[in-house]
Amino acid sequence: MEAGRKVILEGKRVMMHFGALAALSGVDFSLREGEILGLIGPNGSGKTTLFNVITGVYRPTKGKILYKGRDISGMSPHKICRMGIAKTSQIVQPFTRMTVAENVLVGAMYGGGMAQKEAWEKTREVLEFVHLDRVADVFSGNISIPDRRRLELARALATSAEVILLDENMAGLTPNEIEEALDLLRTIREQGVTLMVVEHIMRAVMGISDRMIVFDYGEKIAEGTPEEIAKNPEVIKAYLGEKYA
Amino acid sequence: MLVSVGGVLALLLILPVFHPSGYVMRLVSTIFMWVALASCWNIMSGYTGYIDFGPVVYFGMGAYTTALLMTRAGMPFFLSIVAGGIVAVVFAVPVGIPTLRLRGAYFAIATFAFAEAMKQVALEWDRVVGVHFFEGSNGITLPIGPSHRFFYYTFWVIMTILFVITYFIERSRMGYALKAIHEAEDAAELSGVDTLRIKVTAYAISAFFIGVIGGVDAYWLTYITPNEVFSIHITIQMVIMCLLGGMGTLLGPVVGASFLTLVSEPLWAKFPYDYLIIIGVIIVVVIIALPRGIMGSVQGRKGKRRGSGA
Repeated sequence: MEAGRKVILEGKRVMMHFGALAALSGVDFSLREGEILGLIGPNGSGKTTLFNVITGVYRPTKGKILYKGRDISGMSPHKICRMGIAKTSQIVQPFTRMTVAENVLVGAMYGGGMAQKEAWEKTREVLEFVHLDRVADVFSGNISIPDRRRLELARALATSAEVILLDENMAGLTPNEIEEALDLLRTIREQGVTLMVVEHIMRAVMGISDRMIVFDYGEKIAEGTPEEIAKNPEVIKAYLGEKYA
Repeated sequence: MLVSVGGVLALLLILPVFHPSGYVMRLVSTIFMWVALASCWNIMSGYTGYIDFGPVVYFGMGAYTTALLMTRAGMPFFLSIVAGGIVAVVFAVPVGIPTLRLRGAYFAIATFAFAEAMKQVALEWDRVVGVHFFEGSNGITLPIGPSHRFFYYTFWVIMTILFVITYFIERSRMGYALKAIHEAEDAAELSGVDTLRIKVTAYAISAFFIGVIGGVDAYWLTYITPNEVFSIHITIQMVIMCLLGGMGTLLGPVVGASFLTLVSEPLWAKFPYDYLIIIGVIIVVVIIALPRGIMGSVQGRKGKRRGSGA
């Protein structure tokens, strides 16, 4: 994308070791304001770990995460969320015995720092935006999978996040539902939210990303526009094996 | 719902005017005390799902604080029980900060161990340190208290305060955070909830009132020993009453505590040796039939709820 845009989130030599396992071995990345950055790579290549390091679930073994120039590595998840970085999880984690609206309300009140009345207004707005208003008062344990995926997104949006990390938010959706989800993400971006997207569905992530980063064995092996990535021999090797490269 | 609860509370407030027997006064006061204790446990464990297996430690602290202040310092009763609550909070906050990072059974084990350890401290302090303070297993005798009516009203007030507090917590920011922690703590933290702070706050509120109730009970009993006021049975009763009534519901502790006390009473009178077996069977049957407790099952049926404000 336009190279002139400001960097909002940056990783410097991010390393994450679990015992002897190097889940991330010194990754650099930068996310520019307003862009959609796609993250791909085989299973276990470190994408989800990177998200967990950014949101404070893990403290990086080495390296730094800078958000708007400020070092946030090692801060607790709730503080990072309040600063403006939200995440949707690969494994949906709704508050099942609370209604869909109450789920979103928690994000608005705590992540967004709003008073309860204001938070209810925000909740209504977000639910309408992601088309969940029809199930607002249903317990979130009783809604469909696509709706749960939307709920994850709604909860993140309610925190008024400036950066949203989406971890396989489209897993398990039908092609039609994926199209709807992609449209939604584009609309969210138009509203000025910066997105980082981990996705296995290649067509989806290629179609929506401005730039992409490819991971393999905890390292960044390629970076570029979707077209560049599709032609990159390193990437083809990582996905399909030596002989296709 | 609120109107009927208010009605029952008002009826109970004027009950002593009809001069019921001493037995009825004692029985109803006992129910008030257990409703209050179960409500304390509910505020913390019921809403967050963190099973506190040592709440009795704050009961014992409240009882001893009250007993020592009244007998040694001649402090008035009401000041002493508030001091009991404060002592409980002074311990609860530093205990809660490390233990509430533990999940599941580990938290239950840690709280249980802390309660047992404090009981030993109260038992052995005098002998080990060589000064008379807790009086060990000799116990402490408090001044003879006023009439049953006094304790009846004291427990009524504490029970009502706890009901009102629970009602407001349920509807507050904190209430939503507590429920979110119960359902998916990591997701709550990622949604901006300072989970540790919320848990410690709930734990401290719970400890304060348990301490106060311990103080009142000490004055009511007029004689306390560590084995009695730090007894694991008090913890177990609180837990079972909440489970029976429904964890994390406003009326659960009220229903659970009333039910268990009212069922135990006639059984105890009729089968003094076997009544615990019968109670055990009743508890097992209720929990199998209504796994989410009496009130939890009533609420679960609805499956939907009107958003308060949406």
